[in-house]
Amino acid sequence: MISVTPKPLTSQQTIRDLSTLTPDQVALKIQNLNLSYGDKQALHNISMLIPKGQVTAFIGPSGCGKSTLLRCINRMNDLVDDCHIDGEIILHDENIYSKHVDVAMLRRKVGMVFQRPNPFPKTIYENVIYGLRLIGEKNRRVLDEAVETSLKSAALWNEVKDRLHESALGLSGGQQQRLVIARAIAVQPEVLLLDEPTSALDPISTLTIEELINDLKEQFTVVIVTHNMQQAARVSDQTAFMYMGDLIEYSDTNTLFTTPAKKKTEDYITGRYG
Amino acid sequence: MNNLNLGRHISGQFNEDIEAIINHVMQMGGMIEQQLSDALTAVNNTDAELVKKVIATDDKINQYEVDIDDECTRIIAKRQPAAGDLRLIMSISKSVADLERIGDDAERIAKVALESFTAKQQDLLVNLDHLGRHVLAMLQTTLDALARMDIESAITTHKNDEKIDRAYEALLRQLMTYMMEDPRSIPQIMTVIWSARALERIGDRCQNICENIIYYVKGKIARHLSADEINNL
Repeated sequence: MISVTPKPLTSQQTIRDLSTLTPDQVALKIQNLNLSYGDKQALHNISMLIPKGQVTAFIGPSGCGKSTLLRCINRMNDLVDDCHIDGEIILHDENIYSKHVDVAMLRRKVGMVFQRPNPFPKTIYENVIYGLRLIGEKNRRVLDEAVETSLKSAALWNEVKDRLHESALGLSGGQQQRLVIARAIAVQPEVLLLDEPTSALDPISTLTIEELINDLKEQFTVVIVTHNMQQAARVSDQTAFMYMGDLIEYSDTNTLFTTPAKKKTEDYITGRYG
Repeated sequence: MNNLNLGRHISGQFNEDIEAIINHVMQMGGMIEQQLSDALTAVNNTDAELVKKVIATDDKINQYEVDIDDECTRIIAKRQPAAGDLRLIMSISKSVADLERIGDDAERIAKVALESFTAKQQDLLVNLDHLGRHVLAMLQTTLDALARMDIESAITTHKNDEKIDRAYEALLRQLMTYMMEDPRSIPQIMTVIWSARALERIGDRCQNICENIIYYVKGKIARHLSADEINNL
C-alpha cells in the first residue's frame, strides 16, 4: 500500500510539542532557574526540557544569558565569585545543584567544548585519554580502543591515525576543535555542551563540525550555544531564543525559523531592530 | 489591513532589496490587470490592434517573472531570510508564477477577437464578457490584497472563486445548447469555450495567490483546504 504521508526530508525526528515528552525522552529538566552575578540578575526563571539524543541550540544577542545558561548545566558558574543560583537542573532525577553532588562526576557526565580549541600541549593520544587517566584507567588496550573510537566519532581518526604520538598543537584549528570534542566524548558523557564551537573556525571546518554534531546526537544529547543563526537552523532539532536573561521562545527548529510565535523572536532572526 | 512588514532590518540594503522586489511585483500586477482588461475590451470591440498590443505586452510580463524570480533567488543566497522574510520571498516567488500564467491566459482570451463571429454568435461574446468582468474584479481585489498582504481580503477573495466557477458552468451549459442547435458553429463556440476556460483558470490562479498571502501572514498552508478550514486556520 502506498503511504500518503511523505517522509520527512531529513532523518531528524522533530518533536512538535515539547510538553508531550515522556520522562525517558528528557535528558535535562531545567526548573525555575534564576542566576545573578552580584546584584545583576542574568537569568530570569528559566524552565525548559532538553530532549535526549537531540541537538538543542540556544540563540540570542550578546549578553542574553545563553552561555550563562549553558554553563549552569555543568556547574561552570561555581567558579565565578559572587554568582548566586537558585532553581533546579535535573539530570537522572537528581538536582545537579544539590549538596551531595560530586561536581567532578557531574562534569564527566556533562562534557563541554569551548569557543577556541584548547588542546593540552601533549600528544594527540594523550589529549584524548586525559579524562580516562584522571579517573584512573591504566589498561593500555582500553586506552587504545578509547582513542580510536573517540577519534572516529569525532571524524578525526583518518586524518591523525598515523601521527597519534605527535603534538596536538601541530593540528589545524578545525582538527584541534575535533580533537577537543574527541577528548570530551572519550569519557562517555551523556550530555555534550558546545559553547560556540565553530566561531574561531573557517567555513569548511565549520561544516565538518556541524556534520559531526549531527552524528554525535545518536550517542549524546547535544546542547549548543551559537551566534550564527543559520548554524542553529542547520544543526539543531530544538531552538531556544533568549533575550536579556529571559527565555522568550523555545520550540522545534523548523517552526522557530519559519513561523516563530513571538515578535521578538521574529525580529531577531530576521535581523531587525528590536 | 496592511500586514506587509518590510523595513527595520539592520541591513538597509536588505530593506532596499525587498522593497525593490515588492515594487516589481506591483508593476507586474498592474500590467496584468491592464492585460486582462484590454483582452476583454478587444473581444468586445473585435479590436485586432488591441490584440496585437496584448500579445506584445505578454513578453514584458514574462520578463518580469524571470527577473523577480531571479531577485528572489539572489536574496535567498545572499541573505538567508528566515521567518516572515522567508515566507514573503517564497510567497512572491510562487505568486509571480501564477501572475505570469494569468498573463498567458489573457493573451489566449484576446485572440478570440481574431475569430469571425456571426451576428447571432455575438450573444456568446456578451456572456463571455460578463464572466470576464467578474474575473477582472477578482484579479483586482487579489492584487490589492497582495500589495498590502491583507489576509481578510485574501480569504474573502479566495471564497469568491466559487461564484466564478458557477458562472463558468452556466456559460458552458449555454454553449453546449448552442452547439446542439447549430453544429456548424462548433468551431467558433470551441474558441469561446477555451477562453471561458482561461477565465476560470485565472480565478483559480487568483485563489493560489490568496493562499500565498495567507501563508505569508499566518505561516499556515491554505492549499487544498475548504473555505471553512481556511477560516479556522
